Amino acid sequence: MGAAFVITLREAFEAALVLGIVYTYLYRTGAGLHARLVTAGAVAGLVASVLMGWLMTAASGPIADLGPDVIAIVVMFAAAGLLTWHGWWMQRQGRGIEGSLQRRIDEARDRRRLWVLALIAFTGVFREGAETVLFLWGLMSQQDASALSNVMAAALGIVAAAALGCATFAGGRRLSLRRFFAVTSIILLFVAAGLFSSGIGRLEGLGVLPRSPEVWDTSGVLDDHSLAGSFLAGLVGYRAHPSAFELAAYVAFAACAAWLFFAGRPTMTVVARSERRERAAVER
Amino acid sequence: MRHLALLTLAVMLVVPIAAIAADAPAEVALTIENHRFNPDEIRVKAGAPFTLVVTNKDGTPEEFESKSLRIEKVIPGGKTMRLRVPALKAGTYDFFGEYHEKTAKGRIVVE
Repeated sequence: MGAAFVITLREAFEAALVLGIVYTYLYRTGAGLHARLVTAGAVAGLVASVLMGWLMTAASGPIADLGPDVIAIVVMFAAAGLLTWHGWWMQRQGRGIEGSLQRRIDEARDRRRLWVLALIAFTGVFREGAETVLFLWGLMSQQDASALSNVMAAALGIVAAAALGCATFAGGRRLSLRRFFAVTSIILLFVAAGLFSSGIGRLEGLGVLPRSPEVWDTSGVLDDHSLAGSFLAGLVGYRAHPSAFELAAYVAFAACAAWLFFAGRPTMTVVARSERRERAAVER
Repeated sequence: MRHLALLTLAVMLVVPIAAIAADAPAEVALTIENHRFNPDEIRVKAGAPFTLVVTNKDGTPEEFESKSLRIEKVIPGGKTMRLRVPALKAGTYDFFGEYHEKTAKGRIVVE
């Protein structure tokens, strides 16, 4: 019964964290009204997960053998890209917060940016969604005596993950806006780097990339399958035995994202240009 | 820019499928029954890719997972799935069933 709790908590944790950050972001930038779009993204992710779970049960042949892997890898890379984009955006906003909060808030309401948030919610839920759906499905179809307690435990795992997401929301509300942007964009950077390196690892597992040697093995100290290990895996991409490619992908991605976030401080011309654009928008 | 992104996505989708569909390596059968793997030890030759043909005889799904092989695959109840494993170096590679970790354990010995 404990196992079912750990499994669903592990699967839902990353989605809860990402959703927590996105909702807090909307709330803090005064765009809370648009939370609906993000909720729609998350619900779409849920629907897609159920469909995918059903497809995996119904389909057979090469599509069933390979389809889920290909989709998983695409979703991982897409999520890594989207999260980086959003982190970069928050970082840029965070810099200009003092004195021009309202302006930034207006920018935050830009529709296109909201679509990115909805997509983030979608990929966040869909990434582990189909697996969770199949797991729950299996539990519910079990006939033995432990079935009910297993289902309860699994449900509790999801509730616990949701509580963690709410805690993120509560914590994020208390931070100063500038600090919230700084902290969450760094979290997103690590989550994204972890996703990217997992994607590379899966490509190795499929034989698309050649297998690279294992760099270290810390599974004796902290197995990435334990609860603590899997939290760290979701948060910073921890691996108990990463391959050379996974490690290189992680470092390269984190370095590029960090450079993107922290290096190119906006120059005067960029600021002036964006101000001019805003003024034009107001006049319209 | 948008076209480039779409093109990249399309290539990412097509390349793995094409690469994997290209050759047909040796097959190794693996059965899941009562949340256990049978056999729980598989011996294969080093340097040759192979296909694990995993049949789940249980009514419930199982996730075949191996950290060292970097494979995660849900196998619905009553289904057979083919998992392609690329050429491996000599050594032992553990795998387990994520949904029944206590009982579903096994390893691949590559020699």
